[in-house]
Amino acid sequence: MAGLIKKKRRTFGQQGVQITSMMDMMTIILVFLLKSFSTEAVTVQASSDLQLPVSSALKVPKVAVNVVVTRTELLVDGELVLTLEAAKDEVTGGPSYRFPAAAKRDNKVMPLFERLVQKAETAKAIGAKTGSDEFGFKGQVLLQCDKRLPYSVIRDVMFTAGQAQFGEFRFVVIKGS
Amino acid sequence: MGKHRTIEEQELNLVPIMNLVTMLIPFLLFSAQFIEYAIIDSTLPAISNDPGPGPVTPPTETLTLMVIISEKGFTITGAEAVLDPEDTVTGPIIACKGGQCTSPDRFDFKQLTKRLARVKDRYPKHEDLVLIPAPWIPYEVIVLTMDATREDRDQRDAEQRARLLFPNVVIAASLE
Repeated sequence: MAGLIKKKRRTFGQQGVQITSMMDMMTIILVFLLKSFSTEAVTVQASSDLQLPVSSALKVPKVAVNVVVTRTELLVDGELVLTLEAAKDEVTGGPSYRFPAAAKRDNKVMPLFERLVQKAETAKAIGAKTGSDEFGFKGQVLLQCDKRLPYSVIRDVMFTAGQAQFGEFRFVVIKGS
Repeated sequence: MGKHRTIEEQELNLVPIMNLVTMLIPFLLFSAQFIEYAIIDSTLPAISNDPGPGPVTPPTETLTLMVIISEKGFTITGAEAVLDPEDTVTGPIIACKGGQCTSPDRFDFKQLTKRLARVKDRYPKHEDLVLIPAPWIPYEVIVLTMDATREDRDQRDAEQRARLLFPNVVIAASLE
């Protein structure tokens, strides 16, 4: 008798993957990232040696020659030009930074001066060939400096850039509240 | 009798949409910007061959406003002008909090803004300022000083815009 009672066989059929919830999550992430999408003229390399100061300035950065001064390096348009050396602050006694004396001549930082002169000549040649003011040389420099650097380093960079005919400076800062 | 057709409901195939979203997300992650940047314009005084933009408005009264940042704090001076004839008590120096200028938060930026607002009341058309920091002053202090001299955020107009003080800053050679 028992054999006559047929037990229902449970068949374990394949269940499709529930991706509806995953779609919800992905859609929300996508919308958020679309909102944060941006193409800016300034790219900042995240580094412990480059902490930009926070400021209430609102002007949007524009394309210019990019000079980056971290606590250890000086870069022009992403290329390493010079390495800074550690020093001691004469007033506070704390750690400080400066350009090597061997790299300076008449208060100019020579490797930076040579690189900027090259950039200026290239920009002038492009401006002459295109005949357009838009592509011509404007003498503008985007300066990204670590907030802990002493003014003496910034001064040397600005003086050198001024000697290379770059007289307009744009200090890049982080927008604060 | 005709066959009764049943229309089966097709389930939406979300797999191609998932593919698209999965490819878009890494691309958008690379180009997402979570920190906004801004710029502060400045020029060199007479050192570069480029004279720069120059003063915005021709001054009717002569005033060469200078802010010196040193171990004493801020010193406000103006050539060929008496900046604040009624101020006989505080003098031109804004000392640091605690008397020592050892870190950026010791500098009294609010007081600097207040004093410059009084100068602006007297010379409303002037917008230029010369900043003279000492060589050891950290760059962060210079940027915060430029913020304090650019506008007074405690005074706003009907459209909630901060009062403009001296937005054209020239950084001069430091004291040695």
